Amino acid sequence: MSEELALMTEGLTKSYGRVRALRGVDLAVRRGGIFGFLGPNGAGKTTTIRCLLDLIRPDSGTLRVLGLNPQAEPVAVKARTGYLPGELQLDDNLTAERQLHYLNDLRGGKADWHFVRELADRLDLDLKRPIRNLSKGNKVKVGVVQALMHRPELLLLDEPTFGLDPLMQHEVLRLLVEAKRDGATVFFSSHIMSEVQAVAERVGIIRRGKIIELAETSVLINRSMRRARVRFREAVDADALTRVQGVSVLLRDDGMAMTLQVEGEMDGLIKALAQFPVVDFETERPSLEEIFLTYYEDERNSHKAME
Amino acid sequence: MLTVFRHAVARSKGSILGWGLSLGLLGMWMASFYDSIASQAEQFEQLIEAYPKEIWAFFGGMIDFLSPEGFISVELYSYMPLVLGIFAVLAGSGLLVADEEKGFLDLLCAHPISRTGLFFGRFLSFVVTTVAILTLIWLGMMVGIQWSTYMNFGWGQMWLPNLSVLAFLLLFGALSLFLSMVLPSRRLAASVGGLLLVGSFFINGMAELNADVAKIADYLPMKYYQGGIAVNGLNLEWFAGLMIAAAVFTLLAWWRFERRDIRVGGEGGWGLPSLRFWRRRAAVSAE
Repeated sequence: MSEELALMTEGLTKSYGRVRALRGVDLAVRRGGIFGFLGPNGAGKTTTIRCLLDLIRPDSGTLRVLGLNPQAEPVAVKARTGYLPGELQLDDNLTAERQLHYLNDLRGGKADWHFVRELADRLDLDLKRPIRNLSKGNKVKVGVVQALMHRPELLLLDEPTFGLDPLMQHEVLRLLVEAKRDGATVFFSSHIMSEVQAVAERVGIIRRGKIIELAETSVLINRSMRRARVRFREAVDADALTRVQGVSVLLRDDGMAMTLQVEGEMDGLIKALAQFPVVDFETERPSLEEIFLTYYEDERNSHKAME
Repeated sequence: MLTVFRHAVARSKGSILGWGLSLGLLGMWMASFYDSIASQAEQFEQLIEAYPKEIWAFFGGMIDFLSPEGFISVELYSYMPLVLGIFAVLAGSGLLVADEEKGFLDLLCAHPISRTGLFFGRFLSFVVTTVAILTLIWLGMMVGIQWSTYMNFGWGQMWLPNLSVLAFLLLFGALSLFLSMVLPSRRLAASVGGLLLVGSFFINGMAELNADVAKIADYLPMKYYQGGIAVNGLNLEWFAGLMIAAAVFTLLAWWRFERRDIRVGGEGGWGLPSLRFWRRRAAVSAE
């Protein structure tokens, strides 16, 4: 089983003084897929990624990266991994090309320089320019190139599209999909739900240092609430619909049209609707962003309740 | 480690040229005018006798200023530990932490190089940079000596005071590196290192005047710095003592670097070390 996993953590904890950044992170990421790691600022995304690369040491827990313990074999893990930090900083005194050469030298010169130029072309990155003259977005492009240039088995990317324009965001996502197609596992954190939904097959949601959801993206979207819009030929009594388990009315238009929220299966609602003259009926799945926000609203509500 | 070393040395070119050329030119100029001092020895002797002993204390005590070794001691090697000590403190405290505070170390450490390789690659570059600076100073001195009739030090002989400086600088570089590993910022590490450097210099000077202070000075590195007098023979015990102390601080810094987190802004890892400092690497299960 562990050979099939690119990443595995069990009970990972990490504190910074009194701040508990990770409170028992359990994560399993299969090889060869794209995994989206979601969470608001300070939830523990960056801390988890940095533990995986042995940049910081967890207080307790088990870690495996490509079947290896990153604390026992850090060099072997890093040789097979490409990393893009969330707060990317480069050597300002070098050109982008010199920077990439230096980082490639640290990898024993494994990168194919034709591929580096191809990546730079696709990202519209001028390699001759000094780092200090590059914009935030162009620095991120250098970061993306250095993470991909040696064609790693595993990509750990902390917000890889942050600071890029929409065109370049799209290009980076295409590069991730291509990397996956070539056999790499991509693990990336993001705040942009639409991009996670577009490319990630699985997602993990972290909240206050704990994984609260780990699922296939499609399953997560399918099993969550749906929205149904119904238009009737004549005004109807909404009570008959709200009595159905899991159905609530979001919007009512003189009893002639309604927007309903349906939790779980649609069967009950469809049977209840059969007794009314329905003109139009359409359903809509929530976006990953709405699902994500639901988790946080639930938390906020439970906090309010406790107060 | 070699890649890290080469890159770090390349980044130190400015330091080598800046410190080495300026002090080398100073040494050349200073050595070249020794003859005019020696030719007016009588007048200078009267002048020196008029100087208060408190001033001489900071040049390493009452030494024969008019002898070639006394001259280079007073004119160059008496303040070399302080001037180049500042370089050593800044270079040592920033050797790894400067990149860490910028955020670049995070990316560097994510590459397949061991922390030991990174640490010693950088430390070796500091040693080479220091040796290169001292070599330029030595060359400057030797060029100046060629123009002097009375100063007749050989090429190898003139290296001996620089060896004494080297040991002193390595000690302060290693001490500052260690401080940067245990204190929350480079600035604090450099401040503490600088305070110890200046304190050591002044206490050693005061030791010439006060017996009680002399007892304290016995425990300070400045006491074991020979300076220009080393042209007559390097005190190997003092040299070895400074080098061993430098090695101890280097190993302590390496030990700490192996075990600590690589910090980035916003992660809350920038506090003063607590008891966690002594904690061994977290025992992550091997299962």
